[in-house]
Amino acid sequence: MTSLPADTTHRAEAGAKPPASAPRYAPGYGRLMRSPFYRATLGLLAENRAARLAVFIGVPLLWIAIAHVGPIVQLVRISLLQHYPITDGSSPSYTVANYWAFLSEPLYSLPLMRSVVFAFCVTLVTLIVVYPVAYYVAKIVRPQNRTRALLLLLIPFWAGEVIRTFSVIMLLANRGALNVLLREIGLIDRPIPMLYNYFSLSFGVIYLVCLYMLLPLYSAMEKIPNHLLDAAADLGAGPFTRFGRIILPLSKDGIVSGCSLVFLTTIGVFATPILLGGPSTGLFPETIAAFFHGASDKWPVGAAMAVVMLAASLGLAALFMRLVGGKRSARFL
Amino acid sequence: MAAGRTLDGPKAALSAAYWVFVLYLLGPLLLMTAMSFKAAEFIAFPIGETTLDWYAKVVQDGQFLSAVGYSILIAAATTLFATVIGTWIALVVSAESLWLRSLVFALACLPAVVPGMIQAISVRIFIATLDVPTGTGAIIFGHTLHAVPFVMIMALTRLRTMPGSLVDAARDLGADPVVAFLRVTLPYLKPALYGGMIFCALLSIDDFVRTFFLGGYRTTLPMLIFARLQGGMSPEINAMATLVLLTTAVVGLYAEQLTRKARTR
Repeated sequence: MTSLPADTTHRAEAGAKPPASAPRYAPGYGRLMRSPFYRATLGLLAENRAARLAVFIGVPLLWIAIAHVGPIVQLVRISLLQHYPITDGSSPSYTVANYWAFLSEPLYSLPLMRSVVFAFCVTLVTLIVVYPVAYYVAKIVRPQNRTRALLLLLIPFWAGEVIRTFSVIMLLANRGALNVLLREIGLIDRPIPMLYNYFSLSFGVIYLVCLYMLLPLYSAMEKIPNHLLDAAADLGAGPFTRFGRIILPLSKDGIVSGCSLVFLTTIGVFATPILLGGPSTGLFPETIAAFFHGASDKWPVGAAMAVVMLAASLGLAALFMRLVGGKRSARFL
Repeated sequence: MAAGRTLDGPKAALSAAYWVFVLYLLGPLLLMTAMSFKAAEFIAFPIGETTLDWYAKVVQDGQFLSAVGYSILIAAATTLFATVIGTWIALVVSAESLWLRSLVFALACLPAVVPGMIQAISVRIFIATLDVPTGTGAIIFGHTLHAVPFVMIMALTRLRTMPGSLVDAARDLGADPVVAFLRVTLPYLKPALYGGMIFCALLSIDDFVRTFFLGGYRTTLPMLIFARLQGGMSPEINAMATLVLLTTAVVGLYAEQLTRKARTR
């Protein structure tokens, strides 16, 4: 934004446009629009419709093609390679052997099954646990207190995966709060091993993902008009009928987006299983990660597994959305 | 649920469910905070004598301070890039005459639905095929990629409430498209963008899995806490985590209020 003396810009412009048409208000922007630097760059773009559209649409499309699609395409490509670092001069040879290696080896396919089942159970439990809470905040708390009731639940949302997992260890460790409390009241005399098994893992993961369920459910339920419920009650519907015929169908969008978010997040958690899982709870992300720790020659098999996991998780989420039939726009909060 | 017949039974039960849930959410974090005041060397209940020494230790811990600086650097760069790109995509998606709009929207959302672990690996492979080393640039790229869909969605919800006549009027009054954007659209988007920027920064600061696969030798905050957790545990980690928790919670709640305002205003 170089600003030359005003009279030179006027002289340069005088032939093309009468100065009277220059905008009088917002003098800063008027000067900006008239400055030669602007006219040579953004101004030129603003006047040429085709160039403007090309830049306006081109830059985001380029970013999406490179950053959003590129890595996934590369992932798929590497997963089909016979050897990964391709030696100079040789052409890459493609094969599906990496996928066969995955399918024929239970050491690899079992963790995937475990991950999918685990994510499914976590999603179900989270839905059951969070649904009444979301209903309470959206429908029973008085409107003026609603934001406060919601913000109280959002405090932990901003602590990251590692910190929240760590705080779960505080609760469940052998000398953690729960065991010490139980021993103090005399219910147990030896600590119950709660860490490093499926219990601690699911506890930690649900702790991590439950707010992804709460927010979509809350925003769906908040939209249910109260007079529908009142009318149903007047017409003699009991609480269960009202729940089954009004609240449940009308919160379907929230259920769909909440469950999809929770499922996809659970499938991808990485730090929590390392910190809270034990030898018997090996989930798929850990299996995949093992292929990426050392040299890159094992990448094709790891990439094949990542592709399988991506397809499985997105496919299951899409299937679920299709089955329950939420609106497309409801996928996000 | 025998109480379902009376009017107040279900309400009381739901209220109890809410408070149990609050306890579930806040309890572990409170325990973590409480443990940071413990005087003894090892993490175990009961706490007994208390001290503030661990905080003094954390504040003087060189590794911690350098991790804070590095995390903030990455978060700032991520926020800058993700906000510009996310807003730009939102503007393109909201342009009505575009036939491939829904495809652009779906692809723009892709990084938000790809599980974090897979995204980290795919970016790791991607930069390797481009001969880009892991390290700061790679982390910023990974974090930006992750944050863009969220900024886009926030900007889009705000753009949807904006009357198109505003930009038309600016154009009629002599503003070219660039100035119309700077003077009309951008100020209108501002509250959503502030919320989106804080959201980006927090996503980046909290992120573990992308940094884990894309990082070099310098550690970010979650990496440092993770590494300390796998080593010997002492209440110093609690003090560290508590400081991070407090900061992110305050900033996050502020952002939440900001976006809420942006949506309703």
